[in-house]
Amino acid sequence: MTAQDLIQFENEIADLFKAKQIKAVIHLYSGGEEHMLKVFEGITPEDWVMCSWRSHYQCLLKGVPKDELKAEILAGRSIALCFPKYRIVSSGIVGGILPIALGVALGIKRSGGTNHVHCFLGDMTSETGIAHECIKYSQNFNLPITFHVEDNRLSVCTDTRTTWGKAELTFELGAPKVEFSKYVTGKYPHAGSGERIQF
Amino acid sequence: MGLYFTELRRSMEYLALDERVVFLGQAVAVKGTSMTTTLENVSPSKRIEMPVTEEMQMGISVGLALNGSIPVTMYPRWNFLLLAVNQVVNHLDKLKKMSNGGYQPKAIIRVGIGSERPLSPQCQHLGDFTEAFRLMCENIEIIRLEEPEDIFPAYKKALERTDGMSTIVVEYGDYYSEK
Repeated sequence: MTAQDLIQFENEIADLFKAKQIKAVIHLYSGGEEHMLKVFEGITPEDWVMCSWRSHYQCLLKGVPKDELKAEILAGRSIALCFPKYRIVSSGIVGGILPIALGVALGIKRSGGTNHVHCFLGDMTSETGIAHECIKYSQNFNLPITFHVEDNRLSVCTDTRTTWGKAELTFELGAPKVEFSKYVTGKYPHAGSGERIQF
Repeated sequence: MGLYFTELRRSMEYLALDERVVFLGQAVAVKGTSMTTTLENVSPSKRIEMPVTEEMQMGISVGLALNGSIPVTMYPRWNFLLLAVNQVVNHLDKLKKMSNGGYQPKAIIRVGIGSERPLSPQCQHLGDFTEAFRLMCENIEIIRLEEPEDIFPAYKKALERTDGMSTIVVEYGDYYSEK
């Protein structure tokens, strides 16, 4: 899987959306491909991957076949993709997946497992109360989990730093259990394909 | 304590025999509430004391269930469970549908209606939201423990069910000593 493969997949989904083949909300990646590829170099099939509403890249890199993923998206489930076979769980609710990921990690530790949980979240989510609770708990109990913060400075169209009144986000300079990365959103907006579609 | 309490304690001992079961909440590993005393014969290794963080506790419960455990997650008041509604309604209840039946997390939620006698805890601790939760949830059954004889069958069902549903078991604080 290459960066170009990822980009091409999202473009295919955008074309299907424009062709009115997807009767549901989609959230497409555009940017950050090289970083995502690097993150997944360290993720094994036994690991859990927990995502939000934007998760096509994670699904592909965890091993979900393109056709299988595309079928789920066409069925209208892009916003909360779940693939038990690949240990992927996603939620369309801000911050919703974080404590669930924490629980999976706690279960792994209690059972003596050696696998790991990777939880992806955006910059605005990283400033929520539930994120702070979950990250603090994971640090204090040394749970097998990494929170991957993907910072594009925005929550939909709202600037995270402006609304919180701070120039630097809480985990921006690094913290235990947190991996922080920045990217610039490319051609796709928060939701949809960037073009008005009349369904 | 009456038969109602005794049956609760017997039910917790029965649940604890299952190696998948783990208990979590506030005042679970230490003293603090009437619910605590129902766990006095449960091994400390199966009890996880939680900070006060209701939504995180419920999310952890869902995650534990996804990983193969059966969490018994405890909320001494319905009013406290309101702080975890996102995890109950948007996640525990919906994951089965979101995953085409692939994920069927099974959790047991113990919730209490605050006792009014001899001291009233006032309106923020006396909520009973059974009907509201029934309207919001498709994959969570809510069972009310009206009588002592209702208790053991309810928890046995919650543990052994294979229909992909979780269970909220509603206890009455006043009945711990009155029935």
